[in-house]
Amino acid sequence: MMLAHVVLEIREAQVPLLSAMLLGGCAAKFQRVLRVGSVDAGLGPTALFPVQLRRPVALATCAVEMACGVALILTAGGLGRGGLATAARLATSLLFLVATCALIELRSSRPDTGCGCFGDFSTSPVSARTLARSALFAGAALATIGLPPLRAPNPGADAARLLGIFAVELAVIAALSPEVGEALVRLGYSEPCELRRLPAVRTLAALRRSSQWRRRAGLVTVEAPIDMWRELCWRYVVFPARVGDRDAEIVFAVYLRPHRPLIHAALVDAASGDVLPWPAAPGRRAAWLRPSTASGAGPAPASSSAPGRGASPGGTAPSASPLSRSAIF
Amino acid sequence: MLDVHRDFRCCDRFAETATAVRRSRRRLLKDAVLRAQNGQGDEGADPADGGFPVPGQLPRAVTGTVHDVSPHVLVIGNGASETRITLTSEATAWRGGPLDPSGVQPGDQAVVRLHRSQRGVADRIWANIGRVTGIIMERDGDSLLVDEGKTKPRQLVTIPAGSSGRIQVRFPNLEPGYLIDVIGLRQPGELEARIPGTSQPAYPVDRLPPPPMVTGRVAGAISGSVTWHEPFEEPPGLLGASYPALDPEAGCAEDPVGRGIAPRFVRMPYLAVGSLLLVRNDCTGSSCTLPVTGCAAIARLFNDRCVTCGTSPRGRIADLTQASFISLGGELDRGCFNATITVGR
Repeated sequence: MMLAHVVLEIREAQVPLLSAMLLGGCAAKFQRVLRVGSVDAGLGPTALFPVQLRRPVALATCAVEMACGVALILTAGGLGRGGLATAARLATSLLFLVATCALIELRSSRPDTGCGCFGDFSTSPVSARTLARSALFAGAALATIGLPPLRAPNPGADAARLLGIFAVELAVIAALSPEVGEALVRLGYSEPCELRRLPAVRTLAALRRSSQWRRRAGLVTVEAPIDMWRELCWRYVVFPARVGDRDAEIVFAVYLRPHRPLIHAALVDAASGDVLPWPAAPGRRAAWLRPSTASGAGPAPASSSAPGRGASPGGTAPSASPLSRSAIF
Repeated sequence: MLDVHRDFRCCDRFAETATAVRRSRRRLLKDAVLRAQNGQGDEGADPADGGFPVPGQLPRAVTGTVHDVSPHVLVIGNGASETRITLTSEATAWRGGPLDPSGVQPGDQAVVRLHRSQRGVADRIWANIGRVTGIIMERDGDSLLVDEGKTKPRQLVTIPAGSSGRIQVRFPNLEPGYLIDVIGLRQPGELEARIPGTSQPAYPVDRLPPPPMVTGRVAGAISGSVTWHEPFEEPPGLLGASYPALDPEAGCAEDPVGRGIAPRFVRMPYLAVGSLLLVRNDCTGSSCTLPVTGCAAIARLFNDRCVTCGTSPRGRIADLTQASFISLGGELDRGCFNATITVGR
């Protein structure tokens, strides 16, 4: 008697769970449409269809998911007594059975394609876990056929048991879902510095706030850098300088992190490329070179006096309009 | 009839002299600033300092127009200069298919791989070989209009009936928005496609999958597929590589789908024009250090694998000049080789 009661409770728990999964999947697809701007962006089983049919198939899948999810909720209580509830649950069962078969076919014909579930949140290829999850949903939907109208559980033991059923089933679904692992990875993701995008303007601003800059700026003769390039975690910024009667260049290496980056500097002879010792007491920099006027300056135009001093299209930021900024001075 | 708009934007990044000067100057400055810090500059250490091989022992490629050909001698020229190359019975040739070397015609544009150990002797000749890699913009019957990026004119590709089946096995979606990569015979104003370069990704370019996420340090050695491209405004014989992950701040002029989009299938560290790469052909074992000479904006959209020897990981990691590709042991008519690149650390 007790066992039959528990089985009935498990069957009843499937209705809200299935509805939540269907509506959640539909919402995830809709969110992806908004983000990517295309209805059939997530391939999934639509890859089994010819190109011109993929869009209508993707639309139809999303619409059927939403219709089944809403119908399951509406027919869960007294409203759906009899034929209506059975029709909604049969349709849901059919949807998951077809989905399982489509995933099996997808796995054999397009093994590199993801299942397209939840708006293609995970692009992992279809695996046994994905198939098991789809089959679990199909079984759960079949188990709801013939259920009487759902009632709210009594507070106390019944409610606790229902919560336990939800928890166990959600844990099983999570274990079968590649999307959960993907979500955890995204939550804990920190981009390596080699891949981090950091605007050159921020590098220059950080450089001009640094003690290295304050110590060396007196030697700099032109406000805008004559060359700037990035390799891995470092951005290199080169300024023309003058030491006594000698033309030189100061090269700064700025580590690419948003705050208080590590900065190295060297003084190089402009003609020979030899490293020069820093002058004992570099002069105070001119008032027009103070940091407040300098933010956002880009590389200067090419110089004809030294090889390689030109601001190149490949190594600098032509769109940062260095000429116009340096022209202010 | 498809209309080829010549609205491409040129840039001077390929000029060999400028690239070489820039490369050497940047290396000098980088060494100066990092070595001055008592060994704190490991990040920027030059790969050439790590005993990287020089390309002196690698086969050399000669490019030019065929001036004369006889059963034993091929004369090709570039402008005023002429090169006489000996043809032996071991030499092979390609012009849309296998060909006897003496079958090359005067006026053909030839790429000759010289014999590794015999000076001035041809090992293999590719005549009028061309390649189009890009996004299909329009289709009219068997003709395709292909966008190769902003620095190149759009390319007209015709697929003759005899090659259609072979190409469509690897490129089933010859519709606007999909990627194409075909090798064929260069004709005036068009490419006559003969063979597929690699395999077609299943997605159109406006629906690129998200890039993989990498945690921790990016690997110093990255494996994948290495391809070649036709010279356009590049000097003949230029040794260099177009790299898919130039610093977005540098403004990759070839970028067709958004400024600074990251490579989609291999997470590669950002570099600049002039940075050095150690490129190793995993099929032959040949390797050499090449400078980055441009941005491989189209290559980073491909998630294909090279199957020249085994199956490479997904994604294109470099797009070499013809001379570099040949020097590293690549066969132009195969389209790619499995490779590993090492970025200076």
